[in-house]
Amino acid sequence: MKTKLLWILAFCIAAGIVLIGCGESKVEKKVKVKNKDTFVLVEYGTLRSLDPSVCYDNVGRQRLMNLYEPLIYFAGSATDKFKPMIASEVPTVENGGISKDGKTYTFKIRKGVKYHQGGEVTPEDVVYSFKRNMIADSAGGPMWMLLEALTGSGVTRKNEKIIPGIFEKIDKCVEAKGDTVVFHLPTAYPPFMSILTYTSSIILSKKWAIANKCWDGNIANASKFNDPKPGYEPLKKIANGTGAYSLKSWEPGKQFVFERFDTYWGGKPQIKTAIFKNVSEWSTRKLMLHNGDADRAQVDTNYLSEVKAMKGVKTYDVPLLSVTMAFFCQNVDPRGNTSIGSGKLDGNGIPPTFFKDINVRKAFLHAMDRQTYKKDVFSGMVVLPTSPNIKGLPYHRENLPFYAFDLEKSKEYMKKAWGGKVWEKGFKMVITHNTGNDMRKAAAMMLAENVSSLNPKFKIEVRTVDWKDYTIQYRAYKFPMFLIGWGADYADPHNFVYTMMHSEGVYGRYMAYKNARVDKLATLGIQTTEPSKRKVIYHNLQDLWYKEALAVPLYQQIVTRAYRDNVMGFVPNSIDTDAAEDLKAISKK
Amino acid sequence: MLSTHKLVNILQAYIIRRLFFLFFVIFGVSLLVFTIQYSYGPDRRAMLYVDSPQQAKDIPELKKKYGLNDPYPVQYVRYLKEIAMGNFGYSIVAARPVWDAFLHYLPITIELNLFVVPLFIIIGIWLGKQAGIKRNTTYDHVTRILAIIGWSLPTFLFALILLMIFYGKFGLFEPAMLSANIEAFILDNPDKYIKYTGMYTIDGILNGEFGITWDAIKHLFLPVLTQVIVIVAILMRVMRSSMVEEISKDYVITAQAKGVDSKTIFNKHVKRNALIPVITIAGQLAALSMEGSIAVEMIFNRHGIGNWLAHAALKLDTSVIMFMCLFMAVIFVVTNLIIDLLYAYIDPRIRLT
Repeated sequence: MKTKLLWILAFCIAAGIVLIGCGESKVEKKVKVKNKDTFVLVEYGTLRSLDPSVCYDNVGRQRLMNLYEPLIYFAGSATDKFKPMIASEVPTVENGGISKDGKTYTFKIRKGVKYHQGGEVTPEDVVYSFKRNMIADSAGGPMWMLLEALTGSGVTRKNEKIIPGIFEKIDKCVEAKGDTVVFHLPTAYPPFMSILTYTSSIILSKKWAIANKCWDGNIANASKFNDPKPGYEPLKKIANGTGAYSLKSWEPGKQFVFERFDTYWGGKPQIKTAIFKNVSEWSTRKLMLHNGDADRAQVDTNYLSEVKAMKGVKTYDVPLLSVTMAFFCQNVDPRGNTSIGSGKLDGNGIPPTFFKDINVRKAFLHAMDRQTYKKDVFSGMVVLPTSPNIKGLPYHRENLPFYAFDLEKSKEYMKKAWGGKVWEKGFKMVITHNTGNDMRKAAAMMLAENVSSLNPKFKIEVRTVDWKDYTIQYRAYKFPMFLIGWGADYADPHNFVYTMMHSEGVYGRYMAYKNARVDKLATLGIQTTEPSKRKVIYHNLQDLWYKEALAVPLYQQIVTRAYRDNVMGFVPNSIDTDAAEDLKAISKK
Repeated sequence: MLSTHKLVNILQAYIIRRLFFLFFVIFGVSLLVFTIQYSYGPDRRAMLYVDSPQQAKDIPELKKKYGLNDPYPVQYVRYLKEIAMGNFGYSIVAARPVWDAFLHYLPITIELNLFVVPLFIIIGIWLGKQAGIKRNTTYDHVTRILAIIGWSLPTFLFALILLMIFYGKFGLFEPAMLSANIEAFILDNPDKYIKYTGMYTIDGILNGEFGITWDAIKHLFLPVLTQVIVIVAILMRVMRSSMVEEISKDYVITAQAKGVDSKTIFNKHVKRNALIPVITIAGQLAALSMEGSIAVEMIFNRHGIGNWLAHAALKLDTSVIMFMCLFMAVIFVVTNLIIDLLYAYIDPRIRLT
């Protein structure tokens, strides 16, 4: 009897599971708008600090941009047009806000802008905010941008010592004059306006900041407030901005809750409460979006097809101002380096200067099948870049030539390389990419396979290295070829072109590439204010990029944002990363 | 026969002696984990503070700032001094000091374990006992199959299946610790809900807000079910084997021959003796669960120790990893002590010397 009962029970459980599996989801039928005035975003990024002098990550930027406001911000989807925020108008040369030499910027300050905890914004607050953040200048933080533009030095310390006179420069570079704030730049700096949109340029209440142990306003004491201990910076966990939302609660690693600021100067937004939950597991995020418990879910590229097939979900494809390339290092460190085999052109390795020969570089460029890569890896959802001056940046050249996939040409260049020795002896090397990035892995594999197919003596191995080690090693000139990306700090070609082409640029340096003409033009690009002249400079640099065949441009990513279909108001802007969310623009039907 | 007074003295001396060894264990573990993390080299450790290529330029400055270039003994002594003062470092992933983060996350894991541990012990022992007694019957075969399924199915997969069925299909048991409206109530009414223990089930009762307790229990259902099913399988099998071994011993045959009823034989004699290996396994499993189940916490969106540890490991948040090694060393020493005491309690022939 008992045995029979057990069998019946087992059958019922199995049948139940099968029925559940086959039946249409009850939730799918039932999903309705939950909490019309609450917006829930499920994401996986973590936030380190709310201090604008420290915050240099996308999640932090997103939080700060809803809590605080800068003087100006990008207008709509534009990356070269601005709208006034704390400033009452955008300064231009025409309205006298920007001096003709590009060294003085005058901002009229909006009146009646209130802070969450009381008080109104004054020009003194604006001046204090800029000085305080530059004085703090945390290691690894974002202040280099403002420091470079306003003092000519991207840092306040050198060899752990304060640079003499740096605080005096900071003190003099910005001042309040009546209802205006005036910035004095040592030299013209065209991306300055774009830098002012960054979170390091948001406005703090001077009184509140000083009460919370920020710089006391006395420049003689500045060094005491420089480079605060990470995690103990004064504004790490608190916020008092002018943004449309105030900080209601923050449980690190769990959730961040915003509350509408009802007396916001720009009008009351529809969403009353916004909850940003940290949900690391994709399946959980997906189900929450599916059930309507989340209004938006952060999606990784490999799950795009799943999210696009979901009912009741609206997706937006936004090209980002970021680019990934495969860089050639033209002078690899051979010490204990397994990436270059024997270190000689003997068929078992490559010499450290293997990529100094332009023929080798061109051969690799012609071996990259960009169209197949686009189709197979991204399902067509990607922009193929041609140079660091990517689409979306000013002075981008649409018609810049590129090295099309052509294995015959690749073969020709390889035959010419190193006086024919490469073809004769063959070579062995490693292409490296960082762990966990499938897009980079696919590109590395494609290059390795295609180049190896040219000659049986060519042997290329693809190696994966953890990101932290990867960063250390490419900076130690250990990789002959490394794949890495760059995201915009601000929307100006200088941020990309200098980085990748100048011999002192963040990547240019580690490509061990030095070209006096390129260096001169890249420097000139940042010193020139006249747009027509800048256009010529950056067009020349793009030409040089092509001629010099410096790296293999791989992809300019398009991110997909997934919202429930009742969520309205999202405005795409390529400067905003996936983490960004302008809550005041969002509403729910 | 020892007097009660003498027994208590022996017990006290034993506990003190074992706890004294705890310091040596902690020292050994600290030396080991420090050496392992030191082997990463200064650049690698400085990378903890670097998230993007933009920040990488500050690596030399970060190394100097944190003394990462200092010799090994200097760094180790500095580390020991800090932990002696209760400073376990700063957790980048938790954005707060390690100790603060630990106190924040621990109640969430303990709350889960408060349900999981008693359940897996009771169910595991009971099912194992029954399977042992009803050896080679349908009952034994069914529990064996269930045990194989429970133990061989990866926790994350089992958790995902449960989540898809209950939450995905029926909209039940949202993956969170509380419902959105209850969380909003707590945020909006800081005067009505005081955080005493950090465990919603208990704090709800202490605040007289039973709705919060009920809501928290509902949200614990799937994580507890997952953990219990996975852990119970091994305990059940150990208990079964132990029961089978005991049943075949001479004293059981003698008792049966003398006409002692089966209930008394199994419950009073066999079960008691069969529990010895089970206690060891149960203790180790309970100790391990203090680390939090990474898969369960991540999938059901519970921000406890497991979730924290997973993020810390991915980011190489060394302060967290080193602290957790020390914490687990303490947990295992204490657990082993409790197991030894339980041995003596269950089997008086075992002496604490």
